[in-house]
Amino acid sequence: MIRIENLHKSFGSLEVLKGIDLHVRPGEVVCIIGPSGSGKSTVLRCINRLEEPTAGRIIVDGKDITDPKTNMNLVRAEATMVFQQFNLFPHMTVLHNVTLGPVKVRGLSSAEAEERGRELLAKVGLADKAENYPDQLSGGQKQRVAIARALALQPKVILFDEPTSALDPELVGEVLEVMKQLAREGMTMVVVTHEMGFAKEVADRVIFIDGGRIQEEGPPEAFFSNPENPRLRDFLGKVIAH
Amino acid sequence: MAFQFEPSVVVETFPMLMRGLKLTVVITIGGLFFGFILGSIAGLMKISRNILLRKLAGVYIESIRGTPMLVQAMFLYYGVPMALGVRIPPIMAGIIVIAVNSGAYIAEIVRGAIQSIDPGQMEAGRSIGLTRSQTMRYIIWPQAFRRMIPPLGNQFIISLKDTSLLMVIGVGELLRTGQEIVAVNFRAFEVYMAVGIVYLVMTLGIAKALRALEQHLRVLPEK
Repeated sequence: MIRIENLHKSFGSLEVLKGIDLHVRPGEVVCIIGPSGSGKSTVLRCINRLEEPTAGRIIVDGKDITDPKTNMNLVRAEATMVFQQFNLFPHMTVLHNVTLGPVKVRGLSSAEAEERGRELLAKVGLADKAENYPDQLSGGQKQRVAIARALALQPKVILFDEPTSALDPELVGEVLEVMKQLAREGMTMVVVTHEMGFAKEVADRVIFIDGGRIQEEGPPEAFFSNPENPRLRDFLGKVIAH
Repeated sequence: MAFQFEPSVVVETFPMLMRGLKLTVVITIGGLFFGFILGSIAGLMKISRNILLRKLAGVYIESIRGTPMLVQAMFLYYGVPMALGVRIPPIMAGIIVIAVNSGAYIAEIVRGAIQSIDPGQMEAGRSIGLTRSQTMRYIIWPQAFRRMIPPLGNQFIISLKDTSLLMVIGVGELLRTGQEIVAVNFRAFEVYMAVGIVYLVMTLGIAKALRALEQHLRVLPEK
């Protein structure tokens, strides 16, 4: 589904990613953890080409997105992103947020898009908020709308960039619940997160990035119960003690 | 001879003043209509990824903002026809001057409003597969436009007052009409006061209408 080969990314003289290799299979849930500034969000943003990779290849759904000839807009719709800050469109109703992509990118009629939009809002538990504006919602509700907006494109994979980091603690659960449901339904997901509980419960594979490199990867059981890498042990010690 | 206040002269000449006012309004609205188009194009060019477009917009904005409108009007009306061999009718020249002049200021309003929108909005638009121009059209512009309303209203008031400078190129707008009346009846005090009050009523009216408009459009949370 996603194949990343030797991905490098520099911002000026600062090399953030120093050769990342990653393969995500269809239906897999991959959680990426690591200290802040380790480059984990940058990996996601490169997959969506919100950041231009400095070197390396990224193949999403069979298309080499580092090839300038690739139509990035279609790739983005197949590998869409859910942001830490939600980034809903504040001047549109919740429903309109969800239908814009399907209408403009997928060419659905507004009636079809609305039907799909309402179904998806019901799925994330917000059927009654369709006509509201984003600033009338709580953070958790906003993020669930953002997930519905991503799902409306029927993407092959959803990239989650710290989806619960901007939420009040009591609102984290409702968003994770929606994500767990997606995982159970077989959605391919790449999740950058600090929610170790979520990673442990939902991930098929956990990846630890530090210093711009993948330091450790494996199934969550071994990963959390028996970390071998000293940097991972150190990181988990800090996060879990917290 | 003691000065005697004669408000009746204003009553007598009021229909003439109103004809002048009509021209002032026509030039202001016409000028701002094209000024907004010009300013939107220049403002978008200013934030384009193409350096040539950015420079071009920069030259336009700086040269207009850096020279008096009076000079611009006289250059267009007296200077340009000498070079091109065509006379521009005064009213059309007036509309062009207001358009070109306000366009430079509106360009900066447009640029500032667009840049004030959270970059996350562009990213979110792109991430659902919209192109850059679709995101600009459906996501960025509508939000930016609401933020443009107060400074655009300000520009509206400035341009309305600036039309009075067009009297130097023979546009029979409000102030020019007042001057012509004074040339006949010598009642400078009453007539220019009346002219001033008419401008004031107009600008206060615009300010009030804008406040109503701002309240009508849902004010977005600043973030």
